[in-house]
Amino acid sequence: MAEYFGTKIDDIFNTMEQRFLPQGAQGVDASIGYNISGEVGGTWKLTIKDGTMNLESDVGDLTGCAVVLNADAETFVGVTLGKIDAGDAFSSGKVAVNGDLTILGNVLPKVFVPFTPVVRAEAIIESMPERFRPDKAEGVNMKIGYDLAGDDGGQWTVIVKEGECFLKESLEADCTVTMRMDAQVFVDLNTGKLDGAEAFSSGKIAIDGDMGAAGTSAKLFAKFEVPGADEKHGEELISLKCVPSINQRYATGPLMGKWFKGLKEKKFYATRCPKCGRTQVPPREICAACRVRSEDFMEVGPNATVTLIDTVYYASPDPLTGKIRETPYVALFMVMDGSTPDQSFSHELNPKDINRIKPGMKVRPVWAKKRTGSYTDLVYFEIDD
Amino acid sequence: MAKKKKNRNVGIIGVGQTEYSSHKEYQNQAEMVNEAVRYALADANLSLDDIDCVIHGNMELFEMVHQPDMWHSLGSGAFGKDQLRITTGGTTGASLVCAADNLVASGMYDVVMAIGLEKLQEGHTTGGITNMADPLWFRHLQTGALTGSTASMMIEEFGEERAKIAAMKYRILMDKHACLNPRAHRRLGLDYDQMENLMNTSPKLVGELRLIHMCSQSDGACVMIFASEKKAKKLSDKPVWIRDHITIHREETFNNFGIERPEWTMRNAARKLFERNGIKDPLKYFDVFEMYDPSAWWGLDWLREFLLLDGDEHLKLLENGEFDLDGKLPVNPSGGVTASNPIGATAMLRPAEAAMQIRGDAGPQQIRKKVKHALASGFGGTMWTVMVMLEKELNW
Repeated sequence: MAEYFGTKIDDIFNTMEQRFLPQGAQGVDASIGYNISGEVGGTWKLTIKDGTMNLESDVGDLTGCAVVLNADAETFVGVTLGKIDAGDAFSSGKVAVNGDLTILGNVLPKVFVPFTPVVRAEAIIESMPERFRPDKAEGVNMKIGYDLAGDDGGQWTVIVKEGECFLKESLEADCTVTMRMDAQVFVDLNTGKLDGAEAFSSGKIAIDGDMGAAGTSAKLFAKFEVPGADEKHGEELISLKCVPSINQRYATGPLMGKWFKGLKEKKFYATRCPKCGRTQVPPREICAACRVRSEDFMEVGPNATVTLIDTVYYASPDPLTGKIRETPYVALFMVMDGSTPDQSFSHELNPKDINRIKPGMKVRPVWAKKRTGSYTDLVYFEIDD
Repeated sequence: MAKKKKNRNVGIIGVGQTEYSSHKEYQNQAEMVNEAVRYALADANLSLDDIDCVIHGNMELFEMVHQPDMWHSLGSGAFGKDQLRITTGGTTGASLVCAADNLVASGMYDVVMAIGLEKLQEGHTTGGITNMADPLWFRHLQTGALTGSTASMMIEEFGEERAKIAAMKYRILMDKHACLNPRAHRRLGLDYDQMENLMNTSPKLVGELRLIHMCSQSDGACVMIFASEKKAKKLSDKPVWIRDHITIHREETFNNFGIERPEWTMRNAARKLFERNGIKDPLKYFDVFEMYDPSAWWGLDWLREFLLLDGDEHLKLLENGEFDLDGKLPVNPSGGVTASNPIGATAMLRPAEAAMQIRGDAGPQQIRKKVKHALASGFGGTMWTVMVMLEKELNW
């Protein structure tokens, strides 16, 4: 199976089970389809429900999924590993998403521990000549055989001779010492997950030949560094995170005071320019076009005619609570009854009407049961049928 | 509006820019400023001693740093110099250019350095913009700088297919230009055969405004050096002259989406600017236009306003390749704002890039034909517009 950036597609899907965080998935009910194109591609369906996950592969039909991610194998692996910028991949169309994008952006990071590349025995063996330390190998000549079982296994001979180190992809007959174990045991030993002595005593490793050479061989090589992990050993980047919560009080002034008093009484007040007759909702003290005071109040609405519809899919934070808004929602631009036709007022639409709303439709306000003279008095507008 | 009286002419004699990118973790804000300041001083062949006054601009609310100009003096080296901070939202960069022009033209200073910057990585742009809305009304409704209203209006006017294809064509043209610009942030390598696919699969943000249409969030700084006519001629081989600039603001509410639509500030600004400078046909007069285009939809729609066009003239020009580098009026050879958007610097990049085009020093994105007259625009807030006119010769 093809590898990209040293990682196979299966590495990502097969580790989902161990990376899954049941607490993060509480209350989540989502299905995600993966449609990966190319030679090693395929389809997968991930279902997350009630703190559990289920992954199916070779799913013919992904239409029932809340969101489907389409990408070629290389891009998918690259984005997962952070080797390809996810934003660029989206923007350039290399990753296409059908359905609810927020599941990928907001839900998945809570449900899974990020994927880290799977380390393979082959990579560890192949790095041995690079990790070889000639200063520790003075006068040492030996052949170290590795016979590793399992899917990712194989046979290798590491030859140390006159201060140099070579690798052969076969098991030489005259090895000084040969170590036999499961490929995964070998990986765990080299990544610090398993203790050598313990593995030997529990029978996970079998050693043929010169036992002393086995001990010596360990000192001849620098420690194996997990790819990607070495970046953490570079210069330390310090970032400070803080979430300030600051409560503020604003004076309304007499005009906006009247506006909020009006809302309490289910009324909309506009100001009218004495020169051009323009109404402004919410009221403003000045007609900026005529540069005159505009203090005459008149009641407009409560119904309005829709001029523009902004269906918002991007989940932005509500600045008053910091919480991410539920999407999609609709922001309406409308002209209030009795208002001049060049002046729009905007507010949200009742979510139940999202699929029916059209420009030109009449809408009516929905008021909060308990009104306090605040922006919360007006809940949203809805189609007036 | 009568032509403004200018006490003396003002020339642009140095430009410095960092590369623009989503992350600059290797440098802090002052260090980023320092990089651009060094480039600009080297470009003008000046030292800091030659600078009389430094003006500084960014969107403080994005990075949440009070008095950023004080901190950034570590990078600009502006200790002991007269200094001003200018923060006018999206138009900040263009306002810096206007202020520098005014400061030098007035006779107050001979040489002024303007610094525009943003490190959006260190803040939250949409959160910042949302928190700028009127706290009494509209803050609870605002969605950052995102709106699908222009897309809706263009679809209503020109039909869904033509409008969507035109917006995508504009976006891909901008990307083609950005790919030439080694400093541009997003260089996606898009091609026209991806139009159909992208306009249907790119994630939707608001209405038909999709991720692909929208500007980036970038880190970067731009620095420009301005000098009086006498000094500019002495210090520079090819100063670029600021002919005029105009700022038009609308009321700070989004009240202009009614049944009848008022004149956009872009058209209002262009009309006044061209009228007082005797420009009859801007399309013919200008050799390049660096426009603040926050999204492909806005950029395309505003071309009609800025160039005082009617009906579908702007779409036809785009469809016929007239905004390409070898077209009638090349638009955003730099790749524009959809490619790079370090907000406090963004509106300054427009005149900066236009000045480099006039000098012939724009690099890979240089227009082949000679550039004598350049137009630049800035945008911000609730439809605020700034325009700057640049000239190669002092003969107007």
